Amino acid sequence: MASKAAVTAPLRPLCNFMFSNTNVTVTLAPSSVCFQQKRYRRFPKYVVRPTTRKPWHVRKWTEKKDEYLDASNEQFIKEVIIDKYAKVAPSPLKDGPWERNPYLRETRRTGVLALKLGSLLHWKKDGTPFYVTVLQVLDNHVINYVPPELYATYPSHRPHQGLRFGMQVVGSLSCDPRQFSKPYNNLFMKAGVPPKRWLTRFLVTPDAAVQPGTALDVNHFKVGDYVDTQGRTRDYGFQGVIKRWGMKGMPKSHGTTKSERKMGATGGGGDKDGIWKGKHMPGMMGNYLRTMYGLKICRINTRYNLLYLAGVGVPGLPHTFIRVSDTVLPRRQRNEEQMAEVAMPTWFPEDAEESLPEEMFADDVFQFTEPSLQLEAEES
Amino acid sequence: MATSIAKVCQSVKNLTRRSDLLYQQACCLCASFSSSSHLSHPKKLQHVINYQRTRAEVARALRRKQNFLHYEQVDKHRKSPLQSGTELVQEEKEDVAPREYRYVMPEFLPNPDFQYRDRVLEKMERRDMLRRRAVIDIPEFYVGSIMAVTVSDPYSPGKTNRFVGICIDRGGQGLQAYFVLRNVVDGLGVEVLYQLYNPTVQGIQVLKLEKRLDDQLYYLRNAPLEHSTFSFDMQPVTLPRDAPVPVNTTKVKLNPKPWEYRWERFNLKGIEPIELTPKMERGIKEHAKPWEDYDLMLKYRQTVNEDEERSIMTEVFKENSHIESQRKSSRTVLRKKK
Repeated sequence: MASKAAVTAPLRPLCNFMFSNTNVTVTLAPSSVCFQQKRYRRFPKYVVRPTTRKPWHVRKWTEKKDEYLDASNEQFIKEVIIDKYAKVAPSPLKDGPWERNPYLRETRRTGVLALKLGSLLHWKKDGTPFYVTVLQVLDNHVINYVPPELYATYPSHRPHQGLRFGMQVVGSLSCDPRQFSKPYNNLFMKAGVPPKRWLTRFLVTPDAAVQPGTALDVNHFKVGDYVDTQGRTRDYGFQGVIKRWGMKGMPKSHGTTKSERKMGATGGGGDKDGIWKGKHMPGMMGNYLRTMYGLKICRINTRYNLLYLAGVGVPGLPHTFIRVSDTVLPRRQRNEEQMAEVAMPTWFPEDAEESLPEEMFADDVFQFTEPSLQLEAEES
Repeated sequence: MATSIAKVCQSVKNLTRRSDLLYQQACCLCASFSSSSHLSHPKKLQHVINYQRTRAEVARALRRKQNFLHYEQVDKHRKSPLQSGTELVQEEKEDVAPREYRYVMPEFLPNPDFQYRDRVLEKMERRDMLRRRAVIDIPEFYVGSIMAVTVSDPYSPGKTNRFVGICIDRGGQGLQAYFVLRNVVDGLGVEVLYQLYNPTVQGIQVLKLEKRLDDQLYYLRNAPLEHSTFSFDMQPVTLPRDAPVPVNTTKVKLNPKPWEYRWERFNLKGIEPIELTPKMERGIKEHAKPWEDYDLMLKYRQTVNEDEERSIMTEVFKENSHIESQRKSSRTVLRKKK
């Protein structure tokens, strides 16, 4: 049945064209384009780094410099930049936030761009130790929102997504606009914020769209939520086969020369001869995009915007950029009570009735202001 | 006409030369403003901040295509007037901690490797440590001191366990700080590792405050048991006030081989001289690293910057003296009630 459908599917537009009335012009919507299904083993499992930029990305940095600026002019320009961006009204939103919808089971909210700071040792209330990874949500703003109809025409759109998702662009770390190119600076005109060092995008459902210019905060999440973290792993550069794939190498003595850290054979003979695709060999190691799923938020600091995630393994060295968003794991979704408390589409400062506490802990995490663990002696 | 053009050219040349100089000064003055000047003039840049590495290494770390930022760069962003949301608290410079304070509380010094450092994270960690210190009294101790530790233990009948022993090692940074106690129980040497900030620790008491000649006393494993035997009923020995910490200069005679490690290679001061065999001498000569005493860069990389250490220790000293004064006042209140 499936094979029959696969065979007939590519023919359908052709047949329509052949048998249609000549007066009617046939236009094919993108959804009606049929793809021949290909089944193959995915090789390689790691991602090779692209050496060229995607054609639809604008150039980011510029090397232009003004040689005839003296110190007073330099100072004047800095003041202008601060006046333009830093000293405007607290909210650059012209017409207030967009309509706020309730959080549903199908809703997918935007995420934030966080900086990885490092890991610490913490304890639970029963005394068991565990490690936490600390992320800082620093200077985040929403830059753009693309509705689903428009996003469906983008090259990065995948047909199976249909019209479910729009695209939300989020930026982090405001910078001096002089170091960026003009087309890159123009991306931030709509949001009314200074150009950002890093940009990323999240797929969101239209009911959770956030207006460009809105600041994102650590209060976007709550203690006890589960999040996915995505980032690039540490860049090791070109590495040999022992470090990259954990091969054994060869003995260091007994007549071995020049092959202590080499791989052995590359393949068999006869039917299985040649070097197969995906053979583990030396090459560029690290700088892969990796995701850690379902990390629990066990502590939040609202003053410094810190997220404490239970567990280690968030990719990259400290000060790597990490995309943090609500988890997609079905077992870690919110229950009915938690769904009512979600900040939709994000947290606004007006939402807080009272001033928030500086630090919030999950129920099972030991707070350092508490007394030591005391166990009651059994009576026997 | 020609002369006027020549004049203009001359003035333009002067201007450019002058503007370059001024630009460098401006860079120095406003280094914390933004990184634009870094990017537009990569060759002229004079790094003002004292990095822990050579300039070439820092430049490699600051490359644009890297997927992470240098920690100094992150701090610039945090202090930039363009950013919104977070703020850094200004450090107040007040009474300075004594120089020996780094040996009293070595776990407050951060990891010297610049790749793993972050000022906000270190600050948060220090705050948690001081909060824990306000709850339980963690006294001053050194390797060689005799201590008693009480922990809550679900498997003991009274649900608490008290252990007495000599501190043979101390290490770890931040919340991961630990120390190791050694004693002899029923003729068998026992060593227990305790985490300083673990909530199961109910109390730490120093029975005898003293130092030894070495940083680690793991050689007691290969010494007669009498050197690591201490009574569990030992009474605390009090020192006169403001007296320096005494140094115990006893020399231990090691058991004959086999040993846990080749102790003759460790340059230990707390053991009696060993009779060296020719094989031992050969091993010492092979594994000796006499150049490390003169390797200034190695020392520089393994220790935290002196200015930074002073600012950290001042903060800790201030907080800790505040905690101690509060503890004293609460004690006097209790006495009056009795």
